[in-house]
Amino acid sequence: MQGILPFVVRRLMWAPFVLLAVSLATFALGRFGPGDPVETLQGQYHNPEVVERIRHERGLDDPFLVQYGNYMWDVLHGDLGTSFTYLGVPVEDIIFDKMWVTIQYNLVALLIIFAIGIPAGIWAALRQGTWQDPLTIGVFLLFRSVPVLVVIPILQFIFAIKLGWLPSSGWVERDILGMKIGILDKRIIMPILALSLPGIAGVARLMRAQTLEVLDEDFVRTARAKGLREVVVISRHVARNALLPMTTIVGFALVGLLGGSLFVETLFGIPGIGQFIWRAVFNQDYDVIMAVTLITATAFIVANLVTDIVYGFIDPRVRLGGGGPRY
Amino acid sequence: MRNLSAVLRRLAAAVAVVVGVVVLGGCGGGEGDSSSDGGTPAAPVVGGELRLLGRDPITLDPACASDVDSANYIVEVFGGLVTIDRDLQIVPDIAERWDMSGDGTVYTFQLRRGVLFHNGDRQVTASDVKYSMERALDPDTQSTVAELYLGDIVGAEEFADGDADEVTGIEVVDNYTLRITIDAPKPYFLAKLTYPTGFVVDRRQVEGSTCLSKTNWQRNPNATGPFKLKEWDLGQRIVLEPNSRYHLGAPSLGRVEYTLGGGSAITMYENDEIDVTGVGLNDIERVRDPAEPLNKEFHEASRMDIWYIGFNVEDEPFDDPKVRQAFAHAIDKDKLIEVVLLDAVVEADGILPPDIPGFNENLQGLEFDTEKAQQLLAESDYAEGLPDIEIATSGRGASVGPVSEAILAMWEENLGVKVATRQTEFATFLDDLRDGEYQMFELGWVADYPDAENFLKIQFYSGSSNNYSQYANPEVDELLEEADTETDEARRMSLYQQAEQIIVNEVPWVPLFHDKFSVLIKSYVKDYTLPPFVIPRLRYVHIEE
Repeated sequence: MQGILPFVVRRLMWAPFVLLAVSLATFALGRFGPGDPVETLQGQYHNPEVVERIRHERGLDDPFLVQYGNYMWDVLHGDLGTSFTYLGVPVEDIIFDKMWVTIQYNLVALLIIFAIGIPAGIWAALRQGTWQDPLTIGVFLLFRSVPVLVVIPILQFIFAIKLGWLPSSGWVERDILGMKIGILDKRIIMPILALSLPGIAGVARLMRAQTLEVLDEDFVRTARAKGLREVVVISRHVARNALLPMTTIVGFALVGLLGGSLFVETLFGIPGIGQFIWRAVFNQDYDVIMAVTLITATAFIVANLVTDIVYGFIDPRVRLGGGGPRY
Repeated sequence: MRNLSAVLRRLAAAVAVVVGVVVLGGCGGGEGDSSSDGGTPAAPVVGGELRLLGRDPITLDPACASDVDSANYIVEVFGGLVTIDRDLQIVPDIAERWDMSGDGTVYTFQLRRGVLFHNGDRQVTASDVKYSMERALDPDTQSTVAELYLGDIVGAEEFADGDADEVTGIEVVDNYTLRITIDAPKPYFLAKLTYPTGFVVDRRQVEGSTCLSKTNWQRNPNATGPFKLKEWDLGQRIVLEPNSRYHLGAPSLGRVEYTLGGGSAITMYENDEIDVTGVGLNDIERVRDPAEPLNKEFHEASRMDIWYIGFNVEDEPFDDPKVRQAFAHAIDKDKLIEVVLLDAVVEADGILPPDIPGFNENLQGLEFDTEKAQQLLAESDYAEGLPDIEIATSGRGASVGPVSEAILAMWEENLGVKVATRQTEFATFLDDLRDGEYQMFELGWVADYPDAENFLKIQFYSGSSNNYSQYANPEVDELLEEADTETDEARRMSLYQQAEQIIVNEVPWVPLFHDKFSVLIKSYVKDYTLPPFVIPRLRYVHIEE
């Protein structure tokens, strides 16, 4: 892997330009869009002097590029600004806590999606041509097709009101090794069901397609010809190769977690980033919107990079950077 | 902030505010004497927990709060010179009594002795009150509402503009005497003081903080209200504990917990996770059914607000009063309220909501009358044809909501007029309104304090910045000015009623309806009142085994 360092460096050199473009675009959308946080804050009682005074204090009356420059300068010095949704609270005091909440329960959902989707996909591929294949995929597609907005009240009706097994909503944190963990409480079961059920179909279908492709490969025929047991053929030769494209999906799925889910968080009362960013957008909370955008963009860049590097390790055919083909 | 309620109201036509519950606690008996508000004396504290669903406050700094959500918590934790009791009367809080000068401009407040801050180490004195009011008005504090609530005080404007070192109209006479001078006799001045803006804060704690910076103290404010803030975990929960030394009588509740994360309110209520919930239109018919067990826990109460359609009276075609009257007569409010709003609101004939002092039962509204509507239109300057008409609403959805849709259909059916719609995000909507850019608009107004001035003067006085209709009638202006300074209560109310009837007849607004609270309260929660606007109310609540 001697080619890896220049590759990483080259990719990292691009990162600032990507972030610049993303931040500039987001910043411009907020500043040039209608309304502003001070107006939103003041509401129907309008005192132009007060609005002007606060806009001035917050630098909202500076020229666009000056505002942008000041903002980015502060960001580079670790200051993400101040919220208008929680008036005067530093953005960093809010969003990392909320992202942590969202990451926790999404991670569990993601694990479940892959843990069920991958074996289900392989199984469906092996049963191609029988009724079991379309039935398996069909059931998962059914879950995928029903919107969470419909699924959630049904889950709540069954598990909370009718059976009385679970609280209908909420988020209870426990302090474990200094970390606030909320996924050890039973009230997280329904949100995780609501999130993972629709997600399984995508993974299962991709896994099925990949498996079918690999099953046609010469090396599978060879393995079988050598007299290997089917279990070994599937687990060692087919599944391993079919899993390669999953790496990409995992990377981006992880980053996608940062966004959270508005509906799941709102209906289940989970104080995560999805619910918060929604409120922030309504309040035109510039600094919060910028911070979440920047963090998500950075995460995407990193995830992309990591995925590519990991690919190099697990698939020797992929070479990072120079050196030319060696096979 | 009425704008927030407006947006939310629009999103879910009638989602009532959610409330909470009580459980066991237990704290020492209060030392506070019972006060003149006729409320509960400092009875033995029985404890109990009240569990409510709440929304995050934007701020817990009284000087900065301008919205209903924030005020809801602030009035329970903080206190000022005066407060409002559950009969909606202005009663003493930190002030024990007050005298008003003969001309109605000088208020001398005698402060109650022994009012302690929550941490118990200090008594509130007159200079704490002065400090708190001046801090709110200080331009560095950046309050958006201080001038609105405290601007009547002599010297407040100069101070807020940075041209004076102190507010000359607030004088500390001695430790327990405070004299406030206002710029003209204003009967509603005390009502304004019940709003959080001038509430007492602990100087040592808040010094150097503004609305937009150094707000950490708000997680643990040292104040004087009936409850102490035990915890505010942003977006998760707010926990209140009783202030056992509260001077108007210690609360009975041992603990109040607000869940802020959201959730499906009625499901949580049915699952016994919360003790009070608002009921939306989706569930209202179910809980009204006497056969439904929830029906016994269902309560309704009026709110002090008004939802209306406003006309820009300077813009075509609504510069002709006959066109406005025609549009008003063409709306069948009975049908609108019965079919679309499922009777979860109260029809509005006039501007003032039913519970406000001065509400006129004999007011003549504009009845639904298709013939009259058509006739008025035919007599108007626009008999030959109307220009294109557009109604503006605030919001972000693709649809304007069922209320607007029904009204548009009525105009088309009863007047033969097709009205287009236009939807704008709220801040821009207000901006455009102030600039008079809309011919017609749909909006609501919620009382800040229970006074007719808060509706009529603010909305229809020709010089008011909230007069979005651009309505100007010298006769109405004169009545409102006179009422402003009239100290005879009966005469003052009669002036407002005269003004209101003229306004209703000239139709700068078509009043539509007043909201109601539709709420479920668990049977073990007692004395949970549903006041029409924000007042401190949790200290009356108790939990029965």
